[in-house]
Amino acid sequence: MTLMALAQRLEETPLGTAIAEGRFAFPVLEGIHLIGLSVAVGLLLLTDLRLMGLFLPQVPVRQVHRQLQPYILGGFAVVIIAGSLLFLSEASTLIVSPPWPFKFFFMLLAGVNALYFELAIARRPEALPETGRLPLSVRGAGLASFVLWALVIVCGRLIPYITHWA
Amino acid sequence: MSFVNLLASIQTSRFAHGIAESNHLLIAFFQIVHVFGFIFLLAPLFLIGLRVYRLALVAQPLEKVLQQGRTLSLIGLSMTLSSGLLMFLSAPLHYYFNWAFDVKMGLLLIAILLYVAQFLWVAVLNAWHPALARWSISISLLSWITVCMAGRAIGFV
Repeated sequence: MTLMALAQRLEETPLGTAIAEGRFAFPVLEGIHLIGLSVAVGLLLLTDLRLMGLFLPQVPVRQVHRQLQPYILGGFAVVIIAGSLLFLSEASTLIVSPPWPFKFFFMLLAGVNALYFELAIARRPEALPETGRLPLSVRGAGLASFVLWALVIVCGRLIPYITHWA
Repeated sequence: MSFVNLLASIQTSRFAHGIAESNHLLIAFFQIVHVFGFIFLLAPLFLIGLRVYRLALVAQPLEKVLQQGRTLSLIGLSMTLSSGLLMFLSAPLHYYFNWAFDVKMGLLLIAILLYVAQFLWVAVLNAWHPALARWSISISLLSWITVCMAGRAIGFV
């Protein structure tokens, strides 16, 4: 089965059809997707700004990081559920849209960056001092995360505007 | 000159034509700025909400969180309003006769008034009666959520 055939089968599922044909299902899901994004990516960008020393510089990084994490993850759960339902309703259109694979590529890179930060950088005892300037590796991870998530959003918004490769 | 005539003259202006007839990626660019603006507007407000509800940054004075959040949130508000205005100017009559847009504008007005109130009074309210501050920030967040939902409906009605 080709990817296109699989996408068409997803669209033809009762749920996919209901979302595509319902008058308000699609915009409501889009709205939920955007609100989830504002919470998840928004709080993540605030954390990135903290890592770069540009937001709440007086608050220890560990405090910002740990306390916002549950809401970031909760927001992402909403984004993923709403995004999956939106995908179900227009899968065959999305898979041929050039920004769509780029969106996932940048999400993958952002995930790798987050894992590297959690597992390698943040575990060093000297990496996250309570006060003062943060090490270059920490600021770099914050900047990389900020740029990558910004690119995810840019690609997401470009999907309806760039529908084909040629 | 009626309001509709005014909008019609804007729509036929060289500026509006310039936007409407330019590359469709210009509107996409406005949309991207609009979404970024909304994220930068809402995320600090949500953070302030978490602080008011004592769910995060409890060790920090609310005034400091408000002060830092306000700058970022105002940048977001400016981005959202300016990009929204440019999108509106590209086809004002089209938007004016869309009921979802009218609803959005009404809700936007309420959301902005509540938004201003948050930054002016939520710290005082929190010190005086924390439950009122929680209600206040919740209503403000809810108003932005309804603005967002009405905004998403514009292209579908």
